[in-house]
Amino acid sequence: MDAEPIDKGAKTSPSRPVDARQRVATMSGLETAPVEKTEPGVVPSFGKWFRQQLLRILLLLPNFILLIVLLAVWQFASKVWIPSIDPYMAVLMPAPTTIAVTAAGMIVSGELFYHLMASLKREAVAFLFAACAIPLGIAMGWWRLAYNQVNPVMEILRPIPPLAWIPLSILWFGIGDEQNEFIIFLGIFFPILINTIVGVKNIDPLLIRAARSLGAPERKLLVRIVFIGALPQIITGVRIGLGVGWMALVAAELVGANSGLGFIINDARSMLRTDTIIVGMLAIGIVGLSIDTAILALGRRLLPWSLAMRK
Amino acid sequence: MGRLAVNGVSKIYGESDASSSVVALRDVTFEVPDNHFCSILGHSGCGKTTLLNIAAGFERATTGAVMVDGVSIDLPGWRNTMIFQDYALFPWMNVFQNIVFGLEMKEVARKEREDITRHYIGLVGLEAFETKFPHQLSGGMRQRVAIARALAVQPQLLLMDEPFAALDAQNRSFMQDELVRIWQREPKTVLLVTHSIDEAIKLSDCIAVMTSRPGSVKEFVRVDLPRPRDEDDAPYIALKRKLRELIRDDFVSR
Ligand SMILES: Nc1ncnc2c1ncn2[C@@H]1O[C@H](COP(=O)(O)OP(=O)(O)O)[C@@H](O)[C@H]1O
Ligand SMILES: [Mg+2]
Repeated sequence: MDAEPIDKGAKTSPSRPVDARQRVATMSGLETAPVEKTEPGVVPSFGKWFRQQLLRILLLLPNFILLIVLLAVWQFASKVWIPSIDPYMAVLMPAPTTIAVTAAGMIVSGELFYHLMASLKREAVAFLFAACAIPLGIAMGWWRLAYNQVNPVMEILRPIPPLAWIPLSILWFGIGDEQNEFIIFLGIFFPILINTIVGVKNIDPLLIRAARSLGAPERKLLVRIVFIGALPQIITGVRIGLGVGWMALVAAELVGANSGLGFIINDARSMLRTDTIIVGMLAIGIVGLSIDTAILALGRRLLPWSLAMRK
Repeated sequence: MGRLAVNGVSKIYGESDASSSVVALRDVTFEVPDNHFCSILGHSGCGKTTLLNIAAGFERATTGAVMVDGVSIDLPGWRNTMIFQDYALFPWMNVFQNIVFGLEMKEVARKEREDITRHYIGLVGLEAFETKFPHQLSGGMRQRVAIARALAVQPQLLLMDEPFAALDAQNRSFMQDELVRIWQREPKTVLLVTHSIDEAIKLSDCIAVMTSRPGSVKEFVRVDLPRPRDEDDAPYIALKRKLRELIRDDFVSR
């Protein structure tokens, strides 16, 4: 039996099925254009697919006019205008082409990948620890006593920016991974905690009554109704948390690390490698965006019902 | 299995000696024999929901008790399960998962609970929608899922609080017929709240007519008409007139 909505329309590619609701929410209508039905496993003709992708990109092009103009101005300023004033100043603002060449070099040598993985590993470790905010948040959202006792502690700790913990954490952990991970942990923990509490408190009380009326004992109620019901909000908390954590990560690495994207840009500063600094900055931005997009997509895929309810 | 006895139930909201306290129910007493369909009829605010919530175990009576087969109800559970006006289906579970939920809570063996679930999906006519999610269903279909989900746990007492209020007139009439059909196939003791005289007559074996301030049962009326019931039959019309007057008195005395 087919669990999917009937009006799926056509898929742009059989390897990447697009949920109908998701498509409505994310695309400007281009993907809804009906394409011929493809048999499962039969790849549509490459020529047709290529033409479609090309058309898509061409139609999106007007959105990038300002970006392209800015890049052109930047290129001109860096290569022609600034050097004409003071050649030594030119090093402060490398041209886009210079940055691209540096980036390519760092990718090929594996340097960028090495530091990226170091950063991602710290973020991941910190996230694993920070995930304990989920059970804690459920307990606080569910039992008034837990909320009343824990909330004052959290309210005192929460407004302290993770970066304010850097001096103390260096004394506690020394300089290294643990210290970095601790700072990131602080960034991730509170957004998850707060969103979990809100998620639990916002569950429709009728659903809880219904579950009890069907004989659900407390433990199963917490797992099957309260946790799942709060999950959309928990995922929002994870998104925000990982974002805050990613910012904290870079700051932590600036101060106390010898690997990672934050380390790269600080290290490059001492050698006046502005091109490397900018490559590092761009990598930080792109990876942050990718993490956020991935979690959003994962949430949409795993919890289509929550998207449908929001509409 | 499911003789319902409401024994002198009173419910006072707030401190009983405070001036702000509300007497929602006073000394409500009636009995419903096993596998009978009983409606509670009354204007809004006369305590119908309060009585049903006590029977569901969501609230405690200030005095008195609701008993099923001589055992008093203290907590919510599958024995006295409730169908809600807004269905209260779990949005992250499909039709099958919603209906099987109560059986999982009862820890019925896997094979058996799947058989029971399929049986009730068939009984409410949703075979083709097993894997649909609530947001993909119409109001009437959601109501069917809610009914199947409640029946699947095989309760001794089935409670419904204005279950068809959210449906349009046509769907409501259709679902009333469906409920009668399902109930005749699988008799249960039912306590249904309504403010519609026609709904009460159409569905019930007996009707507890309630008055407000404080909420109490004014008259307990038996309905001995053959089903399906015809709105144009003389006894139907006579009963309707009688109920209307009972309720109107209440309205006037306010
Ligand atoms: N939780 C509560 N606290 C105080 N008063 C309540 C509460 N619930 C209901 N009441 C009062 O009890 C009376 C009966 O309410 P209810 O049972 O909802 O009536 P019905 O379902 O017949 O419309 C009303 O006057 C209402 O204001
Ligand atoms: Mg009511």
